[in-house]
Amino acid sequence: MSNRRMDKAETEAIQHVLAGNRDAYRVLMERHFCSVTRVAFRITGNEADAEEAAQEAFLRAYNKLPSFRQDSTFSTWIMRITMNTAINLVERRNRDLSYRAPRISDEPSATDHTVKIADRQAGPEGVLLNREAAGLRQAAMAELTPMERTAFTLRHMEDIPMGEIAAALNVTTNSAKQAVFRAVSKLRRSLTPIAGGLR
Amino acid sequence: MKHFSEEDLIAYQLHESSDEGAISTHLENCSECADLSESIAETLRVFSADPVPQPDLEHNWQRLRGNLRVLTPERPRGFELFRWRWAWPVAGLATAALILLTVFGTHIHRAGETRHNIAVNGHGPLTTEPTDPAIANHLDAAERLLTEVNNSSGPLDDATREQAHSLLLQNAVYVRNARNSGDLAEAAVLENFGRVLTTLDNEPPTSHSTWRLRLEMNTSGLLLDIRILRQNDDHSQGASQ
Repeated sequence: MSNRRMDKAETEAIQHVLAGNRDAYRVLMERHFCSVTRVAFRITGNEADAEEAAQEAFLRAYNKLPSFRQDSTFSTWIMRITMNTAINLVERRNRDLSYRAPRISDEPSATDHTVKIADRQAGPEGVLLNREAAGLRQAAMAELTPMERTAFTLRHMEDIPMGEIAAALNVTTNSAKQAVFRAVSKLRRSLTPIAGGLR
Repeated sequence: MKHFSEEDLIAYQLHESSDEGAISTHLENCSECADLSESIAETLRVFSADPVPQPDLEHNWQRLRGNLRVLTPERPRGFELFRWRWAWPVAGLATAALILLTVFGTHIHRAGETRHNIAVNGHGPLTTEPTDPAIANHLDAAERLLTEVNNSSGPLDDATREQAHSLLLQNAVYVRNARNSGDLAEAAVLENFGRVLTTLDNEPPTSHSTWRLRLEMNTSGLLLDIRILRQNDDHSQGASQ
């Protein structure tokens, strides 16, 4: 996300799309889909939902393209739409009692929305410890509200400035900061049982 | 010795503190704060970035392309001229409507403001007992929706309206819970929020409806109330741990 002006290729692609050429949208998608999916993954916590949120964000952006005034870059705009879409998806998942939240299991699978990140250097014991640690981290992250999770992951993991996160979430910078602080505080408390008490 | 709060130290560890030098000096002399600061740093290390899976671009493009409609080209020039000929009468009507709405809206705004400001400000801290953790999600969603309403210049999009509808269904439950637990201040704020949601859910999306809603229902005042509620909710949960 940056405030630099859009380059010529993106501006032209938008003009072509608005003139009725759907395939011109591919230029924008190829440039931004990876970063959009990355942010969506941070917010949703699993690959399947991240792709769904990214797809929905690109579709919403396409449908809103006629009203895109280009006073911000396409990347800033699509990122803002992505964050809102991903947060809404997480909220929908939370409401749907039949949905099983992402978690680590002994046998991770896509159908169960579980994630496994390969560690080729770890032995069997290391793999087990990695799984346990990942499970604890995911359980702690699941306790955060969608806004706290979004603000925390984007600030801490993606190193996005607080002002940009606030703009994307449509809240004040102070609100975004407070969300990050609350998240860190909650996560720290969640480590209490394994750290043997907070210092 | 004056100690720094957990929040100050989190800001310090995230390089968001405006007092970095003073905190750094203090940590060299205060083992209590240094331990807390190290605990925060350890938390940030534990929750550092995991690898992100790479999406299949071709597959995603094919999936997306199937959902893309052909967008309508820009309006022809003749239409623009036609539209500008009517600009002055339309501007005149809009100004008259604005004056009427301001007079009408201010009246309602005052009545609404008195009601919920008493609820929030007249009882000191809103909650002292730990509340249902799920309400934190609800208040977050409420804050984002109201911010969207306050910042939108045109009609709200379908996703936002859908979210309002969904929040409306949940809000009734939280109002009832607040009443049952005797937290009348929280119930009053949530009831006001429910009224905004009901209006959003029922009113047809026009270019003026969002603006009128802001004015008539004092959504910016309500947003402040929601933020206070959320802070109190957060403090009460923190105190319980």
